[in-house]
Amino acid sequence: MSVTEILFFFLSALAVFSAVMVLVSKSPVHSVLWLIAVFFAISGHYVLLNAQFLAIVNLIVYAGAIMVLFLFVIMLMNLNAETEPQKHMWMKLAGVISGGCLLIILVSMVRQAVDLPGKTALMKEGNIGLIGNLGKALFSDYVVPFEITSVLFLSAMVGAVVIGKKE
Amino acid sequence: MNAIIVSGLLGVIMMFSGIVLKNRSAITNLAAIGLLLLLIANILGTYGICTISINTHNMLRFEKFGMFFNSIAFAATLLYVLLSGRDLERTGVNTGEYYALIFFVLCGVSILSSFNGLLMLFLGIEILSIPLYILTGADKRNLRSNEASLKYFLMGSFSTGIMLMGITLIYGATGYFDLGHSPVVPSTGEQRATFLEVAGILLLFASMCFKVSAAPFHFWTPDVYDGAPSVFTSFMATVVKASGFIAFVRLFDRHGNELGPGPTWSLLLGFVIIATLLVGNITAVFQQSVKRMLAYSSIAQAGFMLFALYGNNDLAKEGILLYSVAYCLATIGIFAILIRMNDYTFDGFNGLAKTQPVLAITNTVFLLSLAGIPLTAGFFAKYYMLASAVKAGASLWLVIVAVIFAAVSVYYYFRVIQAMYFKDGDPATAPIGTGFKAMLILMAALIILFGIFPSMVLGAFYF
Repeated sequence: MSVTEILFFFLSALAVFSAVMVLVSKSPVHSVLWLIAVFFAISGHYVLLNAQFLAIVNLIVYAGAIMVLFLFVIMLMNLNAETEPQKHMWMKLAGVISGGCLLIILVSMVRQAVDLPGKTALMKEGNIGLIGNLGKALFSDYVVPFEITSVLFLSAMVGAVVIGKKE
Repeated sequence: MNAIIVSGLLGVIMMFSGIVLKNRSAITNLAAIGLLLLLIANILGTYGICTISINTHNMLRFEKFGMFFNSIAFAATLLYVLLSGRDLERTGVNTGEYYALIFFVLCGVSILSSFNGLLMLFLGIEILSIPLYILTGADKRNLRSNEASLKYFLMGSFSTGIMLMGITLIYGATGYFDLGHSPVVPSTGEQRATFLEVAGILLLFASMCFKVSAAPFHFWTPDVYDGAPSVFTSFMATVVKASGFIAFVRLFDRHGNELGPGPTWSLLLGFVIIATLLVGNITAVFQQSVKRMLAYSSIAQAGFMLFALYGNNDLAKEGILLYSVAYCLATIGIFAILIRMNDYTFDGFNGLAKTQPVLAITNTVFLLSLAGIPLTAGFFAKYYMLASAVKAGASLWLVIVAVIFAAVSVYYYFRVIQAMYFKDGDPATAPIGTGFKAMLILMAALIILFGIFPSMVLGAFYF
C-alpha cells in the first residue's frame, strides 16, 4: 500500500466519520464544526487528485466563509435542545422509508456498476485541476455558463438588497 | 441568444430605474416597453432576421420550439404587467427591483428553453428560482409571506442539491454533462444506461418534479402560492411553471427512450401523473379560499402538463405550447381579478355579476378554460395532451383517469361561477378602471379565439 493510498483511505474514513457526526451531534455548533472537518477531508482529496486550486477554494469559501456564516446564524438563533420542535412520529417514519429507498438505490448502484471496482481515482495525475488549465477551460469551452452565472449573482445581490433594505 | 442577452440587460436597466424614476407607474410603463422590446428581439431572433450570434461551444441549442415558447412567455409577462402592474406597485417599495427580478427570471426562462446539457439546465433553474424566493417574500410586513419565502427557499435549495447529486452521478457514469451518452452494449449495439446513470436520472427527475410541483413533491406549492403576494403568485403559477415544463420536456425530449427499459419509465411517469391529478383535484375541492384553490388547481394542471412528458412526441410538443398559452392567459386573468377582490374566500365572490358584470363574465371564461370546456383554449390544450399520450401508446386507464379528474375540476371552478351569478352579496372590490376591463375582455377574447382556432397558435409555431 503506497502512501497516497493510505492517505486516500484515511481521508475517506475521516470524511465519512465526520459526516455521520454532523448528523448525530446534539448541539448544532458541534455539527458545524464536524462539517468543517468534512470540508478539510474533501480538500485533502482534491490535493491528492492534483487539483490544488479547487482544494484552496473549497477551504476558503466553504470551510472559511460559509461555515462562519453558519456559526453566526446558529448563535444568533440561540438554538438548544429545549427549543427544538418535537418531530412527529409519522414524519420520522416517512423520513426513514424515503431515506432507506434512496440508500437501496445508491448501494445497488455501486454494486451493479460493473466497471467501478476496477477504477480508482487518478492520484497525482491529470492537470485539469491546476489553475492555469482551469482558467483556460473556463474561458474557452465554458465561457457561456461562466458569463451567465453573473446574471445569477446579480439577481441574488438585488434580492439581498431588496430583503435587507429598510422600508 | 437575443432573448438571454436582452432580458439580462433589461434587468440591469430596471435595477437602476428606481433611482432615476421616482414615479412608480413610470417604472411599470418602462417595464412594459422593455417587455415589448424583448418580445420583438426574440421574434427577430426566431426568424433569423437579426440575431446576436455567439459561439456557445454547444452549451446552448436554439430551436424553433424553445424560441417560440420564449415568445409565449414574454407575451404572457407583458399581459401580466399591463393587467397587474398597478397592483405590483402597491406590493412594496422596491418596484424597480421587482421588475428587475422578473426580467432575470425571464433570462432564466430563455436559458431553460435553449439549454443543451445539464450544466446550463442547472444554471437556468437557479436563475429562475432565486429571484422567486425574493419575490415570494416581497411583502415584508406580512408574516405569511415571510414564512412562504423561507419555506420555498429551504425546499428549493434542497431540491437543487438533489439535482446536483443527480448530475454528478450522470457525469460519473458517462463523462458528459448531458443525457444520451450511455455506453453501447457490444452484443446488441444499443445504448443502454448503466445503473449509475439511471440513479442520477431518478434524482434529476425528482428535482424537476419538485420545480414543477408534481406530486409527491408538491407540498411546498399551496403554502408558497398562498403566502406570496397575489401579484407574484400569478407570475409564479404561470410563466415560471410553464417554463419548468418546457425544460422538463426538452430534457427528456431526444433521449427519453434510450434510457433503458421503456415500460418502467412510463410506469413511473404514470404514477406521478395519477398522484398529481389526485392530490391537486381532490384537495382543491375542499378549499375555502379561492387563492388556495387556485394553488391546488395549479398542481392539478401540472398533472395534465406531465402528459407531454409521457407522450414525448411532436404532438406533445405542440400540446405543451398550446397548454402554456391557454393556462397562462386564464390564470393571469383570474389572478388579476382576484387581486382586486377584498375577500379571497368563495363567499367574497357572491353577487359579483350584479356589481361588476364585466369582471364576472371574463372570470367565467377564464375558469371555463381552466376546466377544459369546449370552445375555450383549455379544451384543445387538454385534448392535445391526452392525444399525445394515446399516440405514444399510453394505456387507456391513464387517459380515463385524467378525464375523470378533469370532470372533478369542473366542480371547484364552477363554485366560483355559482358564487358570482347565483348568490346574493355585495362584494367589495378595489377601484376598477376601464383599461383593466378592456384588457380582461381582450384576454377572454383570445382564449375563445384560440379555443375555436387552436391552429392559430400552432400555425405560428410552424410558420
